[in-house]
Amino acid sequence: MTTLSQRAPSSEFRLLAVPLVLFLLVFLGFPAVVNLVYSVSEVSFETLRRPEITGFSNFAAVWNDQSFWQASWFSLRFGLLTALLECALGLFLAIFLSPLIEKRSWLMAILMLPLMVAPALVGLMYRLVLHEFVGPVPNYLWTWFGASFSFLGPGSAFWTLVVVETLQWTPFAFLLFYMAYQAIPKEIVEASAMDGARYRHRLWYIELPLMAPTIVVALLIRFIDGFRVFDNVYVLTGSGPGGSTASLSIYIYEAFFKQGAIGKAVAASVILFVVSFAVLYGLNALAARRKGAR
Amino acid sequence: MTFSTLRKGGLIAAAIASLMASPAFAKVTVLGWPGGPEETALRAAADAYNAKSDTSDANKVELLFFNRDGFWDKLQADLAAGSKAFDVNLLATYSIGRYAPFMEPVELSDEAKAVYGDSVLSTMQYEGKQFGVPTDLSLHFMYYRKDLVEALLKDDAAKARFAEISEKHLGKKLEPKNPDEWTWDDYAATALYFTQAVNPDSPTRYGTVLQLKNLLFNMMVFQSLPRSYGGNWMDESGKVTVNSDAYRKGLETYKLLYDAGATPRDSLSYEFAEANAAYASGQVAAMMQWNAAASDLTSKEKSPTVAEVTETIAPPAGPEGRFTHIHGLGFGLNKNAENKDGAKAFIKWLSSKEAALIYARSSGAPALTPDVVKEVAAERPDLVKLGEFASKYGYVMNGGTSAKALSVYELQAKEFTGYWSGQQSLDDALANTEKGMTELLK
Repeated sequence: MTTLSQRAPSSEFRLLAVPLVLFLLVFLGFPAVVNLVYSVSEVSFETLRRPEITGFSNFAAVWNDQSFWQASWFSLRFGLLTALLECALGLFLAIFLSPLIEKRSWLMAILMLPLMVAPALVGLMYRLVLHEFVGPVPNYLWTWFGASFSFLGPGSAFWTLVVVETLQWTPFAFLLFYMAYQAIPKEIVEASAMDGARYRHRLWYIELPLMAPTIVVALLIRFIDGFRVFDNVYVLTGSGPGGSTASLSIYIYEAFFKQGAIGKAVAASVILFVVSFAVLYGLNALAARRKGAR
Repeated sequence: MTFSTLRKGGLIAAAIASLMASPAFAKVTVLGWPGGPEETALRAAADAYNAKSDTSDANKVELLFFNRDGFWDKLQADLAAGSKAFDVNLLATYSIGRYAPFMEPVELSDEAKAVYGDSVLSTMQYEGKQFGVPTDLSLHFMYYRKDLVEALLKDDAAKARFAEISEKHLGKKLEPKNPDEWTWDDYAATALYFTQAVNPDSPTRYGTVLQLKNLLFNMMVFQSLPRSYGGNWMDESGKVTVNSDAYRKGLETYKLLYDAGATPRDSLSYEFAEANAAYASGQVAAMMQWNAAASDLTSKEKSPTVAEVTETIAPPAGPEGRFTHIHGLGFGLNKNAENKDGAKAFIKWLSSKEAALIYARSSGAPALTPDVVKEVAAERPDLVKLGEFASKYGYVMNGGTSAKALSVYELQAKEFTGYWSGQQSLDDALANTEKGMTELLK
């Protein structure tokens, strides 16, 4: 018996796929082709419709630009750190608060509140919160310790941004982990308890392994989100003194709009796409191999 | 199909068509600067223009606004895409060169020269052509606490301490002066004197507040310092001259003040709003700031701590004199305007004395000539100072209206803040800026 996937596509199948194919061609294919052309062209806002192909000079310019590597390092560090912190905190809260939320489900709504605020507004909010003369945090530090701490200075801006990002997005990780924790079959937990497993053993050998797929997905989503961070960082510090808090997204935005270096900005985005694709492809291959090995 | 059904269908079609059609009275679309006094003033001017008996229905003005955030980038994308969504659009001195390829030169009214004067009209010119009406002018004032400075000038012990501090930090003994006679060294010495980290007896926590965020507008505030030492972006031959003693002096002065703690430690993330908040707290003795802050900082309701003791004057002097960066916001003609004639008529009227006075009386900040400003001096005393400072001290750097002017400011913001924050040396900052500017302005 032939399965659906083995059958040759029928004319109806082709017809039904046309809208989707057209949609992808128009909204993904066309911009992708234009981007590829711009990435190897000398192009400005005046010459958007008549770019001059110049080869790979834009890629060379990006490759030799110290700011590109600085932004890449910032994004990588920021993405990894925030993903780890958010997932660690989210996991702790999901397990620790689970009994409480089971009884008082309205608490969940309160814990989700930070997710409802637009990242740009979070940046704006912290500009006020951390301001020495109007912000509560510096005010209390000054009143109690007579200290004027620089939250957004060169040495501390990165960590302040990490904390701000973590505070906003930990609830997202918490939500995923809470759902996964709730989905663990009660009978397994009860059986392990009857077998004499202590709480930490149950957590380590039963619950965490069952939650592992969710943890991996949460880490990946949060890493991607942290890596491409733009709004709150840009509102809070711009790209930072000397470009010290420029993420790759900010680097590309500034090259495109602020410097008018469209070819260079697009070349950077193409490099980012290729690297991201390679990493995701590698992860996918790894996952497939592990699945096959089981 | 019955007649009743046909009639219902017709009515529905007419209703849909009327919803989809543009309002018949709005034929000239004007894209303005949203959310501030500029919007209020533009609305008043547009209402006055629409109410004129000789404004035909086909040429009445409709205003459009989109968010301030990223305004210039969005405008650039719209203009480059050949948008016809607006006939008249906002433009600024520092972005004329960027938008000029997508705009058309305009003809102003015969009164324009007498209303604004040549230097102000030049803020809307590019390659010798007039691209807009200069409706709002921005420049810098030095805001200072006159109560503190007066007390310092009267106290001999304080004067001795002032001299001691200036000798220690600036290498020369200075004595306190009237702020209108200050050089940049006097400003720095005063800022240090009023800083508790330098002088524990200071009545204020900080002597000044610098706007050091990596932001192009902060570079405009900074430029007046090197300019007063003869600094310029380029010489007459087009060679970039930023790697100069003038810029070195300016950058070092800012660095000295930052390192000495004369400005808040977080100044590297400060821009307009943060600096105003710091000054309004009463913990800052003096600062350079945009004229737009004057109404808030001298308002008893908005700044009760400092309103009555704040004075505004032009920035301090250097060996070459006293300077303030000026740039104008104005309105010009979109090359792809659908109602070009209507747009031209509105722009011409906007440059008349009648329009300028309406604009000024409605919170706008036009820089008017002395003869014209006296008609609104009672209601808008700040405009008298604005016009005076613009004509006496206003400057635009060579290349300041070029297509890459914004990119130059962006470059300077990145390199100079890198130096102030200690991430690179002064030599590297200046060399990188010179290299980047040469590439941008070639």
